[in-house]
Amino acid sequence: MPPFASPNDDDLFVRLREGDEQAFVALYRRRQGSIYRFAMHMSGSATAAEDITQEVFLALLRGDCGYDPKRGTLAGYLFGIARKLVLRNLERSRADVSLEADGEDVAIPELAVHDNALADLTRREGIETLRRAVSALPRRYREVVILCDLEELDYADAAAVVGCPIGTVRSRMHRARALLLEKLHQDRNPKLAVGPLKPMRYAI
Amino acid sequence: MNCHEFWNTAPQPGAEAGGDHACHLAECPACAAKWEHHRALTAGLRLVAEEWRSTEAPARVEAGLTAAFRAQHGFERRSARPSWWMPVLAWASAAAAMVVISMFLVRGWQPAAATREPLAAPPRTGPATLEFASQQQDGAADDSEEDSSGFGRDFVRLPNAARIEPNEDVNLVRVEVPRSTLIALGLAVSEDRASESVLADVVLGSDGMARAVRVVDDGGSLE
Repeated sequence: MPPFASPNDDDLFVRLREGDEQAFVALYRRRQGSIYRFAMHMSGSATAAEDITQEVFLALLRGDCGYDPKRGTLAGYLFGIARKLVLRNLERSRADVSLEADGEDVAIPELAVHDNALADLTRREGIETLRRAVSALPRRYREVVILCDLEELDYADAAAVVGCPIGTVRSRMHRARALLLEKLHQDRNPKLAVGPLKPMRYAI
Repeated sequence: MNCHEFWNTAPQPGAEAGGDHACHLAECPACAAKWEHHRALTAGLRLVAEEWRSTEAPARVEAGLTAAFRAQHGFERRSARPSWWMPVLAWASAAAAMVVISMFLVRGWQPAAATREPLAAPPRTGPATLEFASQQQDGAADDSEEDSSGFGRDFVRLPNAARIEPNEDVNLVRVEVPRSTLIALGLAVSEDRASESVLADVVLGSDGMARAVRVVDDGGSLE
């Protein structure tokens, strides 16, 4: 290891279990942002995201936290806890989109060519529109888009977090992108039929 | 490679398509157009990610977690004494508890000026927690017999911990600690159950330092 190389997550985890506060703080600072943003995008609530972030890292402190490096990365483990807490939060608040549209067999809009909508993505309002479109995705599509596109996990890590085969992540990503393009197209053409998506409130 | 195989094995749109995938894109205009849209959408999503990159959890989360870490591992360090101390401490704690109980019985119970409900043990600070903490602080000043620690009867003040100032912003964090750590607080713990875990609420001051602790679920008697 080079002299100034930062320790990896597993090294920090071992040290924090031995009572090394600096290791805990380093690990927290390295991972809290992505966990907080994931919870924020998924729940639409800054307060919920804060609670979830705290709960995720408190889980690391527990003696029986259950993290096993042989079964996956620490980041994946943290995302997995965050996901469970988010789902619990969504069930409580019932702010999520109805899962009726979440079935794997739901009709997939074709990935139509919407050049204007895509061109808008480089503008600030286009970015905001896209963020809203992500928030309005059904939960199972939203979580893979957030994990893979916003937090840049690869499909294998996302599959471990979600607890499904990698092929399922791939197909959900495909459908999610189709839904996003459809949503962007609808936003540009409000007269078109509105799909089953329902925007979530963001309480920042 | 046909279209179905291409989409079943396609790399993530952020990555370049190579090998068989690149060949298929060169041969199939429909998939090539679709692939370009995937890439454009991914680029847009990366811009969204960039916009949010600086969004992080508030600093109070780190302060609370660090304090919880200190509370947990501080307890563990205190409890990592040579094993022959354990029974001595246990007996000394039991004797101290007997003295306190005897004094309490001899002097008689005096009702408190106001009824205080135990905390509902929220996972993090809430208005009720703050109000409760300040009430306890005020109550301690008025009624030193009832609570000399300043934290209410449920809470045990940590050794050398500062008192909570009126209007001080406090946090309540729930942690899981080995039962043996309670010895450091002067509580009697059976040797047989010393290795078991127990839930505890830790009061953190505005400086993030642990001030007091309360056993939430002791599974019945500590002994």
